[in-house]
Amino acid sequence: MKILIIEDELEIAQSIVDYFKTNGIQCETASNYALAINKIDNYDYDCILLDLMLPDGDGFDILKELKSKNKTEGVIIISAKETLDTRIEGFNLGADDFLTKPFHLSELLVRMQALIRRKNFQGSNSIVFNEITIDIFSKTVTVNNQKLDLTKKEIDLLLFLIGNNKKVLSKGAIAEHLSGDMADMLDNHDFIYAHIKNLKKKLHAAGSGDYIKTIYGLGYKWENE
Amino acid sequence: MSKKLLHKTTSSFLAFAIITLLVSAPVFYYITDWLYIYETDEVLHFHKGAFVKESHENFSEKDIEAWNKYNHNVMISPDMGITKDSIFGEMAFDSVAKEKEPFRVIYSPVTINGKRYTYTEKISLVEMEGMVINIALMFLIIIIILLIGIIWISKRSAAKIWKPFYNTLHQIHDFEIDKNKSPSFVPTDIDEFNQLNNSLEQLIEKNIAIYKNQREFLENAAHELQTPLALFQTKIDSLLQLELNEEQSSIISSLNNDVSRLNRLNKNLLLLSKIDNENYLEKSTFVLNDYIEKHLDFFSEQAEAKNIIITTEFSVALSITGNPALTEVLINNLFLNAIRHNEKNGKIIIRIQDNQLTFSNTGQTPLAIEKLFNRFSKINPSSQGNGLGLAIIKKITEINQWEIKYTFDNQLHSFSVRF
Repeated sequence: MKILIIEDELEIAQSIVDYFKTNGIQCETASNYALAINKIDNYDYDCILLDLMLPDGDGFDILKELKSKNKTEGVIIISAKETLDTRIEGFNLGADDFLTKPFHLSELLVRMQALIRRKNFQGSNSIVFNEITIDIFSKTVTVNNQKLDLTKKEIDLLLFLIGNNKKVLSKGAIAEHLSGDMADMLDNHDFIYAHIKNLKKKLHAAGSGDYIKTIYGLGYKWENE
Repeated sequence: MSKKLLHKTTSSFLAFAIITLLVSAPVFYYITDWLYIYETDEVLHFHKGAFVKESHENFSEKDIEAWNKYNHNVMISPDMGITKDSIFGEMAFDSVAKEKEPFRVIYSPVTINGKRYTYTEKISLVEMEGMVINIALMFLIIIIILLIGIIWISKRSAAKIWKPFYNTLHQIHDFEIDKNKSPSFVPTDIDEFNQLNNSLEQLIEKNIAIYKNQREFLENAAHELQTPLALFQTKIDSLLQLELNEEQSSIISSLNNDVSRLNRLNKNLLLLSKIDNENYLEKSTFVLNDYIEKHLDFFSEQAEAKNIIITTEFSVALSITGNPALTEVLINNLFLNAIRHNEKNGKIIIRIQDNQLTFSNTGQTPLAIEKLFNRFSKINPSSQGNGLGLAIIKKITEINQWEIKYTFDNQLHSFSVRF
């Protein structure tokens, strides 16, 4: 899987590259408009992460360029500038998702996975991790072909954990992922403990392995035993 | 106590009129009285002169008797020892009016046929009394008409002259710096008012510029902070992936909390500046109850940690008109406050009555109301909040012309929004 990160803040770009690297995602970066256009013209990517404010141009122009060349790459806008207008304009110009800075790398990763899944949809749309199978379309989870009774939040949590395989996820990142737009309101992340506990219990009852590790003081990690 | 400008000018006119009336009435009475007596005395002197000149030369004793017999007012008496003309005011019995009336009487020495007599003539002053009163009354009426006229005209013209002033006053009163509407003063033909208007225009323009500057600064600052915050966040996310010992873990964990606090603070600042910039003008009508029910699950989950019981009492389905996004922020902030400042095993009551929404939560002591809605005013310094929640609530109610009220009753903090 190959993605292009168009971001003028090199440090942010590098953090994304490092984080994604271990999940088998090959990243290329472009720190300005000219470089970005050059790369888009010459290569095909599975996904493009696009910062709107570039030193020599506007991110929206890159979206227009993609459209005019009939490129089908999925685009996630990562921008510090978040107003309803920029959101709407972004979507109108063909962006698929919008993530406001600052964001968690884990959130960016699962959003990108979801986008690529949608783009590459070929009949089946399921995620398999050992004995666990998640059908995205029907929102069902099976362990060894046995259907699990999970709540919407628990499925969401499971997807987030598996998507960030082998990554330590802070409670804050998980809480923000689960509460979506309401994330800004939270000042207490304790509520995720209950969700983790329930998910663990249900997976265990269905005979699944114990993949959710508690990282003391920090959060949780999904890892093959 | 302050009075209205126009009242003040007319009231001094009125005071002057009353004083003039009070003083001039008796003065006028005495002057008229004196003049009348003076004229009467003149007449007496004149009569006596005429008498001496024309009549007395060929008067005999008999004539004098006859004269005295037919004349009541002019008598020729034997010499009373008067040496020169003298006039007195006397009360004498009037045979017509049948009572004592005031008279002016002249006593004057005359010589008829070489013999000395005293000439007396009296003129009744009864007519004068009536006349003086009549003149005084007419005079009073004229003065009153005059004064009323002056007051009325001055009031009218003052009102006309001061009209631009009141117009300006009204405009300044309605002026709000956070609304994008500066007052437009009507030009007048009075130099001072034009100067006042010009000065005010300059003052307002300057203030609006400063205010805009401040607002833009806040927005820019908050926006500029997003990038370093993003860096901070991603670095911490990267750090988390390293093999950490317990001490390092606890440091990163607390850093993680700090960065989320910074994020929240910055997002709230951005929200405040966005509300200021009126990015939320679109309005629609919706049912408030739905909004609360939509997020009830989310907040119930948050409240669970404190074992708080949330109850809703919706007596009506309240339909309101406002910006949906901001209304959601308003409700979420009220909800979060009710959880954050609650006690363990406390309760939250959400009530919709008439056109009012009330969030009540358990508490021990009432909050100081003065600074409650100020930015960064925190009741409890150790609380997780950033002191912007209530400022945002206040701002949202303000731009929608709703009313927010805080009360403390029965161990319950209550925030009510009247739509």
